[in-house]
Amino acid sequence: MSSLAGRRVLLVEDESLVAMNVEDMLLNLGCEVVLAMRLDKALAYASSEPFDLAVLDVNLGDARSYPVADLLFARCTPFLFATGYGRQGLEVAYRNVPVLQKPYQTGPLEHLLIHLLTCEVPARKGNLELRVACACQASGCPEGSGSFRADPGR
Amino acid sequence: MSNSRQPLQSAPAASTPLASLRRGADQLFETERRLNAVLDNASVSIFLMDDRQHCIYMNRAAELLTGWTLGEVLARDCPLHDIVHHTYPDGRPFPVAECAIDRAFPENNQERGEEVFVHRNGHFYPVGFTASPIRDDAANIIGTIIEVRDISEEKAAAQRQHLLINELNHRVKNTLATVQSIAAQTFRGQTDQAARAVFDARMVALSTAHNVLVEDNWESASLRSVAERALAPHRLAEIDGNRFRLEGPDTRLHPKVAVTLAMALHELMTNATKYGALSAAAGRVVVTWSLHDREDSRQQLDLRWEELGGPSVAPPTRKGFGSRLIERQLPMEFDGSATITYAPGGVICVLHIPLTPLGWIGQETVKEQAAR
Repeated sequence: MSSLAGRRVLLVEDESLVAMNVEDMLLNLGCEVVLAMRLDKALAYASSEPFDLAVLDVNLGDARSYPVADLLFARCTPFLFATGYGRQGLEVAYRNVPVLQKPYQTGPLEHLLIHLLTCEVPARKGNLELRVACACQASGCPEGSGSFRADPGR
Repeated sequence: MSNSRQPLQSAPAASTPLASLRRGADQLFETERRLNAVLDNASVSIFLMDDRQHCIYMNRAAELLTGWTLGEVLARDCPLHDIVHHTYPDGRPFPVAECAIDRAFPENNQERGEEVFVHRNGHFYPVGFTASPIRDDAANIIGTIIEVRDISEEKAAAQRQHLLINELNHRVKNTLATVQSIAAQTFRGQTDQAARAVFDARMVALSTAHNVLVEDNWESASLRSVAERALAPHRLAEIDGNRFRLEGPDTRLHPKVAVTLAMALHELMTNATKYGALSAAAGRVVVTWSLHDREDSRQQLDLRWEELGGPSVAPPTRKGFGSRLIERQLPMEFDGSATITYAPGGVICVLHIPLTPLGWIGQETVKEQAAR
């Protein structure tokens, strides 16, 4: 069984039809999915509930999902950005975050999520604005904030 | 009398006639200084015209715009038109009598228009102008004040935007058609025809929703158009008035609302045609909606879909794409609510959608929320 089975994933995607599709992909991978389609809801989830992983659509219509990314950084939750524009479409400070090219496909989605869990993240470039998308590489995480990660069955 | 100017407020000997005169001169000087500061720092070009259409004053921006100095213009002693507006862009001479700016005094304040001027060096440039009459004490018009802006960049930006929107329209329609074709080729012989027909109808619904957006440059869509197009049987332009009643005020919908609502209505329509009121000869659908103001200053759309006169309805055994889209995604996408009731007399669907404000929403809102 995939190592993603039982993982709790925050999915942030603002287009109804697309959200349905990605939600099904994650469910088929055995994940438990919490879907947020609006920035305020996504922030509420990310700040109050534990997640093993997160998938963030960058462009949420009138907003961007960067505030959610900041919360996930602070909580050491590994996540990826989904965007149709590639890494160049990201704000510079977030370019170390793994990018899933839209449209979503199960194969690359699964591959990247497992990557995030096992921390085989490519070496970071010499960017002074050090952002860490992978919990294991993060130093200075608030103590205990990543403890739920040891509980994949959640 | 000393040349030194005193501050306006301190007029120690205001009672003597000489002091009063001096104070008046000071005030005039001060007023002129301020006016010059305003006029010479303004980025808009300002021309003051007398009753012969001669320019008797122009500010610094006007000198930069036209390439002529005020001194040169005064020395020419001719209508300003003959200096900055003498030739049509196609090369014909432009007599002052044909000039919308100069042929007469403006009748009202702030008459506006666009023209093409000629720079001193010979190049043409588009301008927007505002002309207002200057009146004497007896309200007779004795001159004109004309504000002029170079609108080259706006013209170029509008043209670029026009090109981009055309390209966008083309790409979107083309991409949807391409997706349809890929699906057809991929699933040829592997999928049953009914599933293919459902897929094609959904693609058409999506494409139709985008048509409505194209009509208003992707800024918004008419609610009534979205409803009418979503409910019109495919490839027919108009819906059958005997079978549908659509009642509600029109409003402008944000593109996202327009697309999701169109898809939701398409699913209801498809269901009604297959199993509901529209599957029976006497069946009808009534769609009514209203708008009301919410406390957060947004508007809310309350829409009710009701089927009448169809076969008796039983709740479906499994939830399909349509009910998932309507009951789950639509409320989540727009922070609203949606219920579908499978009443024996016919399906009833009630939607409450807070309408996304049109236009750009500042990031302050987002930051405020993030800081919470």
